[in-house]
Amino acid sequence: MNAPFYKFGLFNTDVSLIFAFIIGIGFGFALERGGFGSARILAAQFYFSNMRVLKVMFTAIVTAMLGLYYLSVIGFVDLSLIYISETYILPQVIGGLILGIGFVIGGYCPGTSVVSFATGKLDGLMYILGVMFGIFIFGEIFPFITDFYYSTNMGSVTLPQFFHLSYGMVVFLVVVMAVGAFALAEWSEKKFAHRNPENQL
Amino acid sequence: MKKLFSELDLKYKLAIIAVLLGVVALFAGDPYNGTSVKVNVKDIALSTVKESDKINPTDLADWIIQGKADYVLVDLRTPDKYAEYTLPEAENIPLVELPNSDLLRNQKIILFSDDEVVAAQGWFILKAKKYNSVYILEGGLNGWKDKVVFPKVPANPTKDELAKFEKLRAVAQYFGGDLVTETSSSEIRKEIKLPTSTVAPQSTQPTTGSRKFTAPKKKKREGC
Repeated sequence: MNAPFYKFGLFNTDVSLIFAFIIGIGFGFALERGGFGSARILAAQFYFSNMRVLKVMFTAIVTAMLGLYYLSVIGFVDLSLIYISETYILPQVIGGLILGIGFVIGGYCPGTSVVSFATGKLDGLMYILGVMFGIFIFGEIFPFITDFYYSTNMGSVTLPQFFHLSYGMVVFLVVVMAVGAFALAEWSEKKFAHRNPENQL
Repeated sequence: MKKLFSELDLKYKLAIIAVLLGVVALFAGDPYNGTSVKVNVKDIALSTVKESDKINPTDLADWIIQGKADYVLVDLRTPDKYAEYTLPEAENIPLVELPNSDLLRNQKIILFSDDEVVAAQGWFILKAKKYNSVYILEGGLNGWKDKVVFPKVPANPTKDELAKFEKLRAVAQYFGGDLVTETSSSEIRKEIKLPTSTVAPQSTQPTTGSRKFTAPKKKKREGC
């Protein structure tokens, strides 16, 4: 038995949707437990007074990376079967900036807005409606930006391929980067503590 | 040393473990090599193209019209023949180049050539290279022409059949063909040349029919 189970045909599309549902619930639970259901905590990230978003996300990246790396080194996971979305560098940079602006203004990202609404927060609901409105607008203007949307395609490129480094080296560098980021985050939380509204209450 | 470690905060312990794993990773090698598996020649010899590994041309026609794009069409014939006529959005990879192609293992791959034989050979090559979802077009391009572009119908259809043929005709016209009655099929086949363009021109799109058709959209792969 090898992973990814779906690609090896262990279950069909219908069953995969059930698993997706369960994993989705688990993901939402983890986000809520991480404190990501609160727009205050999320927004504080951008004022460097509460670096929880960076810490949680980098922890998730490092955990997933180390797990996938070692599971595939021992031959349990076939990495070549895992889908890597293609890189369209320019449209993705623009899209990332728009998402970031929305993140600062609304205090949520799409996933965490659903989490906060699940706990009954009305700003979460407003955010979800805003996301849907944005999707509608995007759909309407898509015919005019189709060319841009598909421009600067780099294919399914990974960091080791792009930087011509070995996979192990990239794993090591990302871990070092994460640990450095954690240390920096702790420092900045102390330095900018006065900006945190929760400290002033 | 051990005492020192156990006295640390949990976050420092985790950080140390992560760094250690990162250092080991420097020497652990390429994860993509770790998953390469030796081909079991016997297994491959015993495996044959099953019915479930074949894609019906009629289904494929529906997918193309609906703009479904979760698959890659691979034309295994020579570039000359590919330039002459091929399926919409098909990629040309002659059989000899198939082992070195840049097809991804996570894609659903549909192989075709004039008939099933070459496609089946390609199927074995990809299966041996651990591609999981490889399919061949049932009957190849000849089957495609007979079933989709120039479907044969009886000369004197009944009323029930007529409704069915309307849909067949709509699909056939979408791909630049038409219905062919059984009696005259042999002569007509000689007269009609297959359209050279891969996508039918706008004017041949069906305006009537029980179903609504949309033009194939730009290729978009799976993902979030």
